[in-house]
Amino acid sequence: MSGGSNFVAPGQYRHLRACMVCSVVQTQQKFIKDGCPNCEDYLNFRGQPDFVDDCTSPVFEGLITLRDPKNSWVAKWQRLDGYRKGVYAVKVSGNLPVEASEMLAAHNIEYRPRDGSDINQD
Amino acid sequence: MSTSNLLNHGYDVDEDDQDFDTGHLDQDAEGEPDDEAPPAGGQPDDDDEEDDEEDDEEDDEDDEDDDLPQRKRARRPPRNQFLDIEADVSDEDEEDPDEDEEDGAEAGFIADDADRPELSDLRQYPRDDHRHRELDRKHEAEQAEDMEQIAAGFKERHGRSARRRMEDSQVVPRRLLLPSVNDPSIWGVKCKPGKEREIVFSILRKQEELANTKTPLQITSAFERGNTMPGYIYVEAKKQADVMHALQGVSFVYPMTKMILVPIKEMPDLLFVMKKAEITPGTWVRFKRGKYQGDLAQVENVLASGLEVKIRMVPRLDYGNGTDVDDPSGSKRKRNPFGKSGSLAGRPPQRLFSEVEARKNHAKYLSQTSQGMKKLFTYLGDEYEDGYYIKDVKLNLIQTENVNPTLEEVSKFASGGDDGTESLDLHALAQSLKKTISTYQVGDTVEVYDGEQNGLVGRAVSVHGDIVTLDVLEGPLKGKRTEVPFKGLRKRFNPGDHVKVTGGSRFRDEVGMVLRINEDRVTLISDVGMTEITVFSKDLREASESGGMETGGKYDLHDLVQLDATTVACVTKVDRESVRIIDQQGNIRTIMPSQIASKLSNRRPNVATDRNGSEIRVGDTVKETGGETRSGVILHIFRSFAFLHNREETSNAGVFVCRTGNVATIAAKGGRITTNQSTGPDLTKMNPAMQRNGRSPDASAIPPPRTGGRDKTLGQTVTIRQGPYKGLVGIVKDATDTTARVELHTKNKIVTIEKVKLGFKDLHTGAIKPYQDFMRPGGRGDGGGYSRSPSMSSDRPSSWGGSRSPQSNFSGPRTPAYSLGNKTPAWLSSNDGSRTPGYFPGSKTPAYGMDGSRSSYAGNKTPAWNPSSRTPYASDTDRSTWDAGSKTPGRPSLDSFMDSNSTSANPSNNNSSYSARTPGASYNASSPDFIPPSYSSKELSAPTPGGPISAPTPSALSAPTPGPISAPTPRDAYGGAWGGPETAPTPAPYGAAPTPGASGSYGGGGASGGGSRDPRGGYYQGAPTPAAGYGNPRTPGVWAGGDDDEIRYAEPTTP
Repeated sequence: MSGGSNFVAPGQYRHLRACMVCSVVQTQQKFIKDGCPNCEDYLNFRGQPDFVDDCTSPVFEGLITLRDPKNSWVAKWQRLDGYRKGVYAVKVSGNLPVEASEMLAAHNIEYRPRDGSDINQD
Repeated sequence: MSTSNLLNHGYDVDEDDQDFDTGHLDQDAEGEPDDEAPPAGGQPDDDDEEDDEEDDEEDDEDDEDDDLPQRKRARRPPRNQFLDIEADVSDEDEEDPDEDEEDGAEAGFIADDADRPELSDLRQYPRDDHRHRELDRKHEAEQAEDMEQIAAGFKERHGRSARRRMEDSQVVPRRLLLPSVNDPSIWGVKCKPGKEREIVFSILRKQEELANTKTPLQITSAFERGNTMPGYIYVEAKKQADVMHALQGVSFVYPMTKMILVPIKEMPDLLFVMKKAEITPGTWVRFKRGKYQGDLAQVENVLASGLEVKIRMVPRLDYGNGTDVDDPSGSKRKRNPFGKSGSLAGRPPQRLFSEVEARKNHAKYLSQTSQGMKKLFTYLGDEYEDGYYIKDVKLNLIQTENVNPTLEEVSKFASGGDDGTESLDLHALAQSLKKTISTYQVGDTVEVYDGEQNGLVGRAVSVHGDIVTLDVLEGPLKGKRTEVPFKGLRKRFNPGDHVKVTGGSRFRDEVGMVLRINEDRVTLISDVGMTEITVFSKDLREASESGGMETGGKYDLHDLVQLDATTVACVTKVDRESVRIIDQQGNIRTIMPSQIASKLSNRRPNVATDRNGSEIRVGDTVKETGGETRSGVILHIFRSFAFLHNREETSNAGVFVCRTGNVATIAAKGGRITTNQSTGPDLTKMNPAMQRNGRSPDASAIPPPRTGGRDKTLGQTVTIRQGPYKGLVGIVKDATDTTARVELHTKNKIVTIEKVKLGFKDLHTGAIKPYQDFMRPGGRGDGGGYSRSPSMSSDRPSSWGGSRSPQSNFSGPRTPAYSLGNKTPAWLSSNDGSRTPGYFPGSKTPAYGMDGSRSSYAGNKTPAWNPSSRTPYASDTDRSTWDAGSKTPGRPSLDSFMDSNSTSANPSNNNSSYSARTPGASYNASSPDFIPPSYSSKELSAPTPGGPISAPTPSALSAPTPGPISAPTPRDAYGGAWGGPETAPTPAPYGAAPTPGASGSYGGGGASGGGSRDPRGGYYQGAPTPAAGYGNPRTPGVWAGGDDDEIRYAEPTTP
């Protein structure tokens, strides 16, 4: 994403939201302005505050700052390899709206929830 | 260059092809193709190269694929030149056609170049043309295969590139992602708890700042686990130095402390996430913040995102009461009373929404809408439905785990209905409670109601976590052992079973009989209250005890209980379901046992100080210094409050509270010695006798004769006559000059006590003597006489009354006598029995005054007695002399009496003794003494005089003389009294006998005991009586006198 720094000042923490698809964490404002750095191609967040609200969640746990997605085991484990550098959440709660799931499906992307519900699948 | 170019190019070629096609028959012959050919031939080459480059760019892995087409192309040119076919192929999907057409075009052009001569031939030989076509068809078929391959290849390539990100992560299962040694390591670093997020972002910033410098961060990632692992952040890097570098200058993280290298095995655990329990409508949750903090709420609905829920709560409204009604800002109004959101104390109680109340003050903020059967109100911006407060809340505002709703709370959500319990969705509640604790215990009979083994009944033999192992009791599986998960089980009871409620509800510990069972709800009738109770079967056990009222068992009367952090209370009444308490503020309340946080046991001794600074403990008796000046025994001390108990109070079971600073000690438990300077009431000051003594405690008293060698008191059986151990019997184990260590019979304890506080038991007679007497040589054994004297006296009762008084008088004189030894002894003697009080006072002035008879006495005696006796008293020095004198006479008499008395008959003796005594009496001191002795024996009378005479006279000399003189007279009076109590008293008898006696004794003086005795004998008859009389008053007078007398007596006797 071009949008400069991913840094968020402590005062802004309450505006933080995590993308339910890729778990990237940024402020709501940034989601609206710049979209999701990873999912923007399939889900058009940019300029759609309502859609951002639906597809991102303020309820998330564990923050990861990812500097080297290719070599990081953490990224691999979290299935973040191939994503951009930035801040991600370990767990994101919330249910992705149906439209968003359909949009992903249209791009042959299987949505895997990041709320821990898949823990027993492997 | 991109595919679009390729496409365009392909399209061009296509056009060319068409041209070529069309011209194939007509134009080609013209040789135009020659012109076209070179550029065409050149272009394809370029295209190929570019294509390859692109492929390379796009996907390195596809090198091989890229090579293939090249080879094909190399092969193709010689064979094929027909373009129609290529055109057909071009109908295939976009990307493939590119290639196809390219290839086709290339092939065509190249072929053209190469085969031009042939072409011309073909034109000339149409048949050949036909053959070629056949050949072409073959090639075409072959090529089609190739094309498919290529298409597949492209599909693969492009398809993958489009989907790459997701597909990779989806395809690889997590177990293949487990970390290996080649992966970077993870270090855990301590940090300030709560600052984890901040640190992660700080690292991010640092990483961004240094990204394009010479020293970028070398870590691969850093993360935190918030609540799972507070106080730690984790950094993933190849080298530890990189971690240090990354964390340098970051606040709140402490890389200098020990860094933990996370073992590879544990790395996945660090990122383990657990899905929270799904929230479904009906779930019980608790509200986290504000006025409704901690309140139970029920989820009505879960919003689509799963992040917001609609909940139902019992509202806490005050409907604007107590606030400015006209203030329109409802929210403000609502907030203000409970502005300090931390304190929940002032919030209104939970009550269903009341339309009436809302209208009263806030009609304009109330609007009503109807939805079918339900009434929906909007009041001050909030919605109320059926009386419940309906609210949409974010998930993070409610607590979804460990809710543990109680039946009471849940019953508030019971919709209407008289029988709240029934209308409850107990099943939902059961579900939410299910996860809490295993309530199954070994031995419970359980029933499986869910799952494959539905209907199985068995007895639990072990419980492990969620699994209950049970022995099947019924059915085909009988006798088998099986394991069943907790959730499909319920306890099984039969109507009529006697059960006890074990937990979960306010009916805890209730015992009763099962009436009916509905699924897992059991209705029972309580043994105690005879009321019906419905509880979950899981909360029941078979009761072993019958009908016990267990609630009371927890708290007993006078228990100290803790209500909340700052309040304690004392139980004043225990009821079946309630406990009445008085708290430290003195408030009296009736509460449920469940409101009691805990029972406080007085493990360590609670000590406080009273108003005077002396220490008070539980069990001490204290008195309020102010207020109602109630006194009581301390039950409990809590900080500065004391819970007192006074049996005589009727309210609150006699319990009341006061501050420890407002009480003064009356008596410390176990006679604990309060500090010396303690200002508790000084008992010595209250006791006139003590006070007198107090002036010269020992100085004036004659110290007991000292004897060398072994302390006489050792091994003696003693009674303690004063102090905390008063009345106890013990044996002297060790002694110093003034104190003795006494081993108590009762307490198996050795205490140190001043010797003067001991009474020594006479080995022979069993009489008890004060220390002074005990120590006096010859003192022993005399006591017996004394004791008898009283018994003797008992005969005379009726007449006594009058006569006694004299005796008392006697005692008076005696006292002095006593005091001679020491006043203390007098004390001691008093201690012996009833004497104490009577004694002293008696002997001393007060005693006299006391009895009515005495007073009359006084009349008689006073003159004589008082003067003489008192005088001596007054002056200490005198006393000694007195005492000596007085006693002497008394004693001898005693001794003699003793001996003789026992033998002689009382009455006669008495009579005689009377007379005799009188004389003794006249001696002041002696007289009393005498009297007692006189009782005992006929001889008494005689001895008395003798005894007294001998000793007394000399010592008495100064004082005694007067004493006797004056005394006698009264005695006469006494004598009269004796004879015919009141009337008789007059002088006659007395006068006659006494005087002589007295004189005789005097005359005899100390010279000879023997002589004196004889006279006694003579006197005897006369004397005894009086003695007897004494006997009555005996106690004091007699004893004392006796003691003193004995000693002297003994002396004389011995010689």
